Amino acid sequence: MNLFEQIPNWKFYLLGAYPAGPLGGLTLNIALAVISIFFGLLIGIFFGLGRTSCRRYIRYPCVFYIENMRSMPLLMIVFWFYFFLPMIGFRLPLFWVAVIPLSFYAGAYQAEIVRAGFLAVPKGQMEAALSSGMSRGQALLTVVMPQAFKLMIPSFVSFFNSQFKNTSVVYIIGIVELTQTGIIISQRQPNKMFSAYICMAIGFWVVCYSMSHFARRLERKLGILDYESYKPEICRDDLALLPLPKTVKRLMITNK
Amino acid sequence: MIKFKNVSKKFNNNTYVLKDINLEIESGEVVVICGPSGGGKSTLIKTINKLEPIDEGEIIVNGLSLQTAGTNLTALRADIGVVFQHLNLYPHKTAIQNLMLAPIKVKKLSKNDAKEKACKLMERIGLANKCNAYPSQLSGGEQQRVAIARSLAMEPKIMLFDEPTSALDPELTSEVLDVMVSLAQSGMTMVVVTHEIGFACSVADRVVFMDKGEIVEVGKPPDIFVNPKQKRTREFMSKILHIPVNNINGDNQ
Repeated sequence: MNLFEQIPNWKFYLLGAYPAGPLGGLTLNIALAVISIFFGLLIGIFFGLGRTSCRRYIRYPCVFYIENMRSMPLLMIVFWFYFFLPMIGFRLPLFWVAVIPLSFYAGAYQAEIVRAGFLAVPKGQMEAALSSGMSRGQALLTVVMPQAFKLMIPSFVSFFNSQFKNTSVVYIIGIVELTQTGIIISQRQPNKMFSAYICMAIGFWVVCYSMSHFARRLERKLGILDYESYKPEICRDDLALLPLPKTVKRLMITNK
Repeated sequence: MIKFKNVSKKFNNNTYVLKDINLEIESGEVVVICGPSGGGKSTLIKTINKLEPIDEGEIIVNGLSLQTAGTNLTALRADIGVVFQHLNLYPHKTAIQNLMLAPIKVKKLSKNDAKEKACKLMERIGLANKCNAYPSQLSGGEQQRVAIARSLAMEPKIMLFDEPTSALDPELTSEVLDVMVSLAQSGMTMVVVTHEIGFACSVADRVVFMDKGEIVEVGKPPDIFVNPKQKRTREFMSKILHIPVNNINGDNQ
């Protein structure tokens, strides 16, 4: 196997058939992820807040949506929209047929992140804001929301990561994103199959890893996790009961 | 100024949190509420600005009934400052921004006016040099003083304190109490839930003893603390003053 044999194909991995055909490859994955996360965020804020509502006729539909979306496989939701939309008379470009289910799916997960973030802000903050004469809306916007969003960042990053990888599922309805590009290349040049699959993996890895990296820097900047003070100290006694070989334990010890 | 008329609040439809409360607080009066925990003190104080709704009765504040549907709740709340037990400063804003937020949002003051006012208040509580500190950089006592200043920034007519010193150690307690005493002497109407007997004796006009959602006894501080009439009050006072029961009430009984 030689990875360099894939160099002539780099344009296909990054852009698909573009500019001769539709956009594809890694760029399409990124586009799908960004757009579906954006719409998902709008859906998520709406349903996530709705789920914390004290009014039943708001809360129940939100719970219904979130729980059903989360208990179905993404593949099934994608198929469902692919066949269902033409049946009720919507004929959209394939790209949007992929974006819609991805957005609904992202919305359900982000709703839960939003809800968890808002619930994690101490109740007293809302009380303090209300008792100083602010309306509920003002209190939410200026006091609770900034704190909640800060708490949500780690969960959001983790979800963005998996959502980016989820976009590979839409190859099933004939969208030529990175996975499908790799499959096509490996089918046309079966002798280069192994390196084609490695290239796919590298594409996903680079994006996901740099996303986590930037997220960590952002977290440090916002002071969410103080990495400087968080240095676990492991000494010999901590590992005494672990059933591991001595050589492994020696590597794990940070404090002698 | 504040009037409770047969106020009751139930929890789960059978246990009373507040039971038939009748109390009238005059303008300029300092009332201390004390009693065992779970007695409904905090709930009583939160009903005054409707953070806790009530089930029966009526509360009238500044001549406005809280139970009438048309009452402008936000305007009413702007006139009532509340200081909580847990230090509820906004952690994402600096001390001075904490003070400026409500005046800008509710009273629509300009940023400069609000800032000028906030600076004066920070000076008044003796923290003029900590304007740009975040709450996490302040000590507990300083945080609580900033919380008091934040309520004062709205120029309230009534101040409510819900155990403002119970989360602080004794040394920090005194600096918070100093601010509260000076506030009381300036003629503010205050309702304070506290077990600080010294504070109650020096500035309180009346002490209300509450237990199990009921007002057990109301009176002048010396009467309640030294010469309580009710048995329940006597037991409680003996506990917080660490004096055996029969020593408080002499041989009258």
